[in-house]
Amino acid sequence: MAEMASAGEAEGIDGVRMTWNNWPRSKVEASKSVVPIAASISPIRSHPDLTVLPYPPLRCKLPCSAVLNPFCHVDFAAKIWICPFCHSRNHFPHHYAAVSETNVPGELYPQYTTIEYALPASHDPAAAAAAASPVFLFVLDTCLIEDELEFVKSALRRAIGLLPDNALVGLISFGTQVHVHELGFSDLSKIYVFRGSKELGRDQILDQLGLVPGQRAAAVVGGAAGYPKGMPSNPKSTSVTRFLLPASDCEYTLNALLDELERDQWPVEAGSRALRCTGVALSVAAGLLGACLPGTGARIIALVGGPCTVGPGLIVSKDLSEPVRSHKDLDKDAAPHFHKAVKFYDGIAKQLVSQGHVLDLFASALDQVGVAEMKVIVERTGGLVVLAESFGHPVFKDSFKRIFEDGENSLGLSFNGTLDINCSKDIKIQGIIGSCASLEKKGAASADTVVGQGNTTSWKLCGLDKSTCLTVFFDVAPSEKSSPPGMGNLQLFLQFLTTYQSPDGQIRLRVTTVTRKWVESASNTEELVAGFDQETAAVVMARYASLKMESEEEFDATRWLDRSLIRLCSRFGDYRKDDPASFTLNPSFSILPQFMFNLRRSQFFQVFNNSPDETAYFRILLNRENITNSVVMIQPSLISYSFNSPPVPSLLDVASIAADRILLLDAYFSVVVFHGMTIAQWRNMGYQNQPEHQAFAQLLQAPQEDAKIIIRERFPVPRLVVCDQHGSQARFLLAKLNPSATHNSANDVAPGSDVIFTDDVSLQVFFEHLQRLAVQS
Amino acid sequence: MASSSGPPSRPPPGYIPPSSTVRQPNPATLAGPMQNLQIGQPMAQPGPNPAPYGAFAGQGPISRFGPPGRPLGSPAIAPIGPIVGNGPSSSAIPGQRFPPPANSQYPAGRGPAPPFQSQVQPGRSFPGSPPLGASLSSQTLPPAQNSVPSQPIPRAVAASPPFAGPPSQYPPGVPPFQGYPGRPLQQPPPAIPPASYSATPQPAPQSFSGPPPPPSFTGLSRSQPFAAPGPSQMFSRPPISSSSYQVPPSMPGVMQAPPRMYGMAAHGQSTGFPTAVGQSPIAAAQGSSPSKIDPNQIPRPVPTLSETIFETRLGNQANLPPPASSEYVVRDNGNCSPRLMRCTVNQIPCTSDLISTSSMPLALLVQPLALPHPSEEPIQVVDFGESGPIRCSRCKGYINPFMKFIDQGKRFICNLCGFTDETPRDYFCNLGPDGRRRDADERPELCRGAVEFVATKEYMVRDPMPPVFFFLIDVSMNAIQTGATAAVCSAIGQAIADLPEGPRTMVGLATFDSTIHFYSLRRGSQQPLMLIVPDIQDVYTPLHSDIIVQLTECRQHLGQLLESIPSMFETNRISESAFGAATKAAFLALKPTGGKLLVFQSVLPSAGVGSLSAREAEGRANVSSSDKEAHKLLQPIDKSYKTMALEFAEQQVCVDAFITAQSYVDMASISVISATTGGQVYYYYPFSAVSDSAKLYNDLRWNVTRPQGFEAVMRVRCGQGLQVQDYHGHFCKRIPTDIDLPAIDCDKTIMVTFKHDDKFQEGTECAFQCALLYTTMYGERRIRVTTLSLPCTSMLSNLFRSADLDAQFTCMLKQAAMGVPINSLSQVRDQMTNFCINILHSYRKFCATVSSSGQLILPEALKLLPLYTLALTKSIGLRSDGRLDERSYWVNRVASLSVPLAAPLVYPRLFAVHSLGTKDDDESAIPPTLPLSSEHITDDGVYLLENGEDALIYVGNSVRNEMLEQIFGTPSVDGISSQFVLQQHDNELSKRLNDAINEIRRQRCSFLRLRLCRKSDPSGMLFFSYMVEDKSPSGLSYVEFLVHVHRQIQTKMA
Repeated sequence: MAEMASAGEAEGIDGVRMTWNNWPRSKVEASKSVVPIAASISPIRSHPDLTVLPYPPLRCKLPCSAVLNPFCHVDFAAKIWICPFCHSRNHFPHHYAAVSETNVPGELYPQYTTIEYALPASHDPAAAAAAASPVFLFVLDTCLIEDELEFVKSALRRAIGLLPDNALVGLISFGTQVHVHELGFSDLSKIYVFRGSKELGRDQILDQLGLVPGQRAAAVVGGAAGYPKGMPSNPKSTSVTRFLLPASDCEYTLNALLDELERDQWPVEAGSRALRCTGVALSVAAGLLGACLPGTGARIIALVGGPCTVGPGLIVSKDLSEPVRSHKDLDKDAAPHFHKAVKFYDGIAKQLVSQGHVLDLFASALDQVGVAEMKVIVERTGGLVVLAESFGHPVFKDSFKRIFEDGENSLGLSFNGTLDINCSKDIKIQGIIGSCASLEKKGAASADTVVGQGNTTSWKLCGLDKSTCLTVFFDVAPSEKSSPPGMGNLQLFLQFLTTYQSPDGQIRLRVTTVTRKWVESASNTEELVAGFDQETAAVVMARYASLKMESEEEFDATRWLDRSLIRLCSRFGDYRKDDPASFTLNPSFSILPQFMFNLRRSQFFQVFNNSPDETAYFRILLNRENITNSVVMIQPSLISYSFNSPPVPSLLDVASIAADRILLLDAYFSVVVFHGMTIAQWRNMGYQNQPEHQAFAQLLQAPQEDAKIIIRERFPVPRLVVCDQHGSQARFLLAKLNPSATHNSANDVAPGSDVIFTDDVSLQVFFEHLQRLAVQS
Repeated sequence: MASSSGPPSRPPPGYIPPSSTVRQPNPATLAGPMQNLQIGQPMAQPGPNPAPYGAFAGQGPISRFGPPGRPLGSPAIAPIGPIVGNGPSSSAIPGQRFPPPANSQYPAGRGPAPPFQSQVQPGRSFPGSPPLGASLSSQTLPPAQNSVPSQPIPRAVAASPPFAGPPSQYPPGVPPFQGYPGRPLQQPPPAIPPASYSATPQPAPQSFSGPPPPPSFTGLSRSQPFAAPGPSQMFSRPPISSSSYQVPPSMPGVMQAPPRMYGMAAHGQSTGFPTAVGQSPIAAAQGSSPSKIDPNQIPRPVPTLSETIFETRLGNQANLPPPASSEYVVRDNGNCSPRLMRCTVNQIPCTSDLISTSSMPLALLVQPLALPHPSEEPIQVVDFGESGPIRCSRCKGYINPFMKFIDQGKRFICNLCGFTDETPRDYFCNLGPDGRRRDADERPELCRGAVEFVATKEYMVRDPMPPVFFFLIDVSMNAIQTGATAAVCSAIGQAIADLPEGPRTMVGLATFDSTIHFYSLRRGSQQPLMLIVPDIQDVYTPLHSDIIVQLTECRQHLGQLLESIPSMFETNRISESAFGAATKAAFLALKPTGGKLLVFQSVLPSAGVGSLSAREAEGRANVSSSDKEAHKLLQPIDKSYKTMALEFAEQQVCVDAFITAQSYVDMASISVISATTGGQVYYYYPFSAVSDSAKLYNDLRWNVTRPQGFEAVMRVRCGQGLQVQDYHGHFCKRIPTDIDLPAIDCDKTIMVTFKHDDKFQEGTECAFQCALLYTTMYGERRIRVTTLSLPCTSMLSNLFRSADLDAQFTCMLKQAAMGVPINSLSQVRDQMTNFCINILHSYRKFCATVSSSGQLILPEALKLLPLYTLALTKSIGLRSDGRLDERSYWVNRVASLSVPLAAPLVYPRLFAVHSLGTKDDDESAIPPTLPLSSEHITDDGVYLLENGEDALIYVGNSVRNEMLEQIFGTPSVDGISSQFVLQQHDNELSKRLNDAINEIRRQRCSFLRLRLCRKSDPSGMLFFSYMVEDKSPSGLSYVEFLVHVHRQIQTKMA
């Protein structure tokens, strides 16, 4: 069992973290445990110890079809293995004849609870070729101001240079109308134009582009260059290779095209927004990819500079007097376009999922662009999303570059994943929160109550990468006739099977099998407590609450969170009834209240400081990042740099601010370097440039270096804020700190420290209340 | 354009090679409005003026009115001889005057002069009989009947040919058939003494066996308005006096008093030549046996060859206009030129009873931008400054020469509604002793029937639009493979060179198959950008700007693009064609400005909005219903095109469709768009890249360069007593009184019908005024006002005398075209025949003497009506055997057809090519014409037939090889390609043929589609289908028809 260890190691080779590592055996116990039983899994996380087996796995007989794993009981003499899930006995096939106690295949090594199989490529050579050349379809907004357009063009040019030669590239630009560029037409620049105001079905789009669904000419790579003339029935003319060309063939064309690409020429009336038909553009892009051979890995990379103002998927009307919806509007149901738009984008999401294609959304605008509505596509297809202020901002530029980078820095973007979960009897799967789509394959293990993408034991992950993380919610449902508590059933097993196309086009199957202990009796809370993972619990609670906030009207998240916390503390705390002072918590729970305190104040709960787009963006990332990163989102880390000591983590408290310190705050989405007043003055006076003050220069440099490290490894690239105490940008730090000193308590503030102008309660007050309420009878 | 399917490497005559430099005149020199009008003069010389066909480019200036006008007019001819000495007449006056009845110059005894009944003489063939005389002679004709002497006017009578009436009805040999002035074709030079007749130098043997005309002949010959130089004989003209002939024709200008005068009508003939030979019109099919009618003697159109001067008013009276097809120079002295407006009757009946009794239509044919004769004074432009033109405050009629100023000029009375208005102070002028304003002669609006006013802001809803031309080209498989696309691209490429070069001229281009491809033309140095609109169910424009750009900015790009389009789509395998959607999309691009949309379509529209089905085939498959319902296929299949067209018209978009088809395209549905938006349909069937490219180019060139206006509104006002009943033609009508014309050009004619709502007083005049508000090619807003004031009459005879054959027939033709899609063909044919019969019956009943009851009496002015009616019933539109599309095209074409082109459309001109050049002394390009009867066609001859639209060259089976060599450059008939392109070879005959064809093209303002007909092929059948005087499965022969008409009249009389 994976015990809690330091955060880095917690996931081990499996990449699985659970809220409860010892599972309550009964439904009642489970519900009394307050924090749901959930596992956060990273299906294709890279790990140095991971072994790849070059042959297909052995599977248990249907319908179980679990894969042979170290937890199987193997009878070497009889050449039989017993599946830990269904207890079926399976004979080893002939090619395993040599198996013996001393000669076990890799998948039975105890340390290889996670192992990867390289599956043979599909039999269809065309499909194999298709799989080998990923498709990048750029969907470019042209309703931009000149500068932004130049920024985005140069980003695109750089990206095209980075693409692998065999990658197929397509370009769609849109503004008032959608322009599909036929890159394979040599005579002149040829563009298919779709109106922005009309919703088109997939078949209509294919038909209008002259394409046949699911077809791709046999010669995919390099095929379009020789566009043969005069063939009586030209199969190419109906092929999608007219629009998608290998990067090596179309680099020149694309660059020339980008050079000529102009801003949308349709006039913008006074008092109106530019007409931007993002919705139709996306559906055309999806339709175009529908003509690709099934199994082709394809990404739609949408570069959007504003909200959709025309046609289906409308975010806001073109009338400038109508503001883009806010959380308040959503709350009051005063956002007239919202539900319609979500429904529309949901349709596109379904289509893309069925095709196995991904949407990446790069939104760069000062105002909202409709991420809240389009989130559904990104999430279902496992796409990436980056929200920035401008296409010239590093948050966009560097993030955009990352997705095309190769080698170590590569995101490991993979395609066409499928996740199947096997679990022991008595365990039901409620669903998954994260970037995936239910395949609606209902099995014995699917629970009736659904969380996120449920009603299935199989999920589609159109796009996944090394950092993709999913949260699986389980339910314990012992059947009546299940065997009475006995030795045989002390362990429970879970197996996660992920097949996917790696970036180089190979088909892989990763099998992760984990086991956990059942906790039999209701009385045995200690065992439960010992198996509790507070970080995971905090993140799962955050994800779960976010989901409920989105899906349930009138859901009072803070209240729900408070009550859950109180119940949890009541259940697992040590105290005498009605004596707050007696309250203590086991170390397994000790920092959870602080997480909860910060979660309550975080952007996930306090949505009204953010736009719906930002909230959506934060939530997508919360759901797709691993536990460690997600914890940072909930409770940022703060490091303090001073002359007196090496960099030390410090309390996320306003008290950490000092005039002679530099603070480095990592709030995941932003990294703040905060100079105390004195430091700032010194710096402004240029001491760091004087040789005798090298130490100061180093001190100034250290947090910057650390920030760079954080930024380099993170996707999307966080915003770097460098600020000084009392500067306007300091709010990025102050907003995250515990307001232990406010303007109301200004009297006792230490010199050089700071106060926060807020009426929010501080952590202490929160704790006091918690203690009081937890011990109430 | 080097493409193989492009135009032939060697341009056919009349085709301007791209390199040639025919250019628009420098706009600067055209600044004056007038020049503007002349620009498009089709007859103008080459050089700077855009001639309709490029043919003339580079030739020396041809004086249009010179020689051609008078091919026959050898000086020897007395142009206006009164006929046979009848009457005192003022024959010399070209225009006729109608003195009041009391003045009649005829001896009372004569009574009304009946038109002559010509007596048909058996066995005779007249001196004038055409070459086919041979066949004639075969007829057995009773001899003797001819004797002229018995007639009151002996000379005239002599030669009348027998008329073949149905045997049973008429006693043999009874009434002679009268000659008529309107001799068909060529007449011998008048100067030739009778004696010379038989000896006429014609190549064709003269067959007439009849005795030469009596001495009277000379007189006669004089009376002939046209001298026929042709080979054919002079016609027997003076035939006149059959016994029934009672009154020698009066001289022109003479007014017949008694209402009953029959013959008088003849005078009414407005023709410029007074000569109206005494004979009038009538062909009498007397009781004589039918077989007695001499086909050579019956009325046929006679080309007028000499140019005349026509004063629109004489002695303060409206003058009778000359025949529409004749050459005349108009002097506008109050009434507008008959080219601009022509009324079916030149005296307005005082009451509605009168007009209904006459059975004649009352309609005005308005061709507001008609090309003037080059020698005519241009229409003057009057600028009233900011106040705009003076108008009647009640009816809003425009100031014109017939507004009467009273009270020393302080007030004026509107001649249209009778209201009295104050004269604006700054327009005041004293009256002279004659009651006219002293400045009347200085002010065009007070002395001219046609003026153009500069429109003020009040007449504009927006700034005048620039000329915008949008070309929409079919590139579907069929169009590419037949070479249509290449031909079209080449034609556009060349025609663009001739577009007016102003900075405002804008062009756009799109192609389409099952999608629509626009091109953005304004893009730095880059290639054009192609923008595809794939949604053909619900179209839109792909760009906001740059689809239609200024010509000056994109000439080069456009040229390159046009060159590359054929190769770009060379391998196109898309056979679908989204005509409707493409048109709609192009319209959307044009919407902000309006303009002309020129669509080139090759196949049945099969995709997208407005897609059509092959109804023709369905109709055929479903035979049971097809007969009864056949005409339904001539109606648009549904309202969709009409709805589209109304929307187009609203935005001032005019659609011209060039159909280069190989099969059925449902013309009935497609043509609605053009018809509603003031456009025109061109039909090339079956399209041949070899032979039709030149026509395509010339049609296109004329289309874009001819004088035309945009965003026009037209209204016709008339004097109190009449009201406008309806307008007919190509336009869009939203309110009852006005018609909207997104575009109007010099070739378009609109028919306006009237009805009485009150009575007129005898002796007053009724005025008609047409006001056309339009924008010129140069972006000037103008109001062209044409006024025609005609006397009112309460006498039927005056009506008949002043009847205008050309106008009436045009009216009839248009009525027929309107009827075709609504009624079955046989019904329409019957209607037309009855129409003719009713008029003649009315004349017979009320204007002819009782004693002549046995004769067929035709009013002089309308003597050709039966022939035209017969030809009409055998025309493409009314024939049962034609293709649906052809009929629809005909219907569409007729709706906007001008008066001068109406009769030729059904009664084409036929020329003997083989005899061209045999007369060296004849400097006219146009040879004499032959009657449309197969009797005149010989097997060793080559013939040219033209109807203003098509020209057929017919080659007989035994034509001499040398002649073939001369004309076609190949010695055998079979050696001539059926995809025929006429070339000029280095010999006299070929040269003359080419000259003749070019001259015809110029006259018709149409390049004529030249087709080869061989006797042995189906094409020969086509040729013979134009021989309308023959008996054919589709109808009676001319003679039989006359007999039929006569019998019907007699039945009615009984």
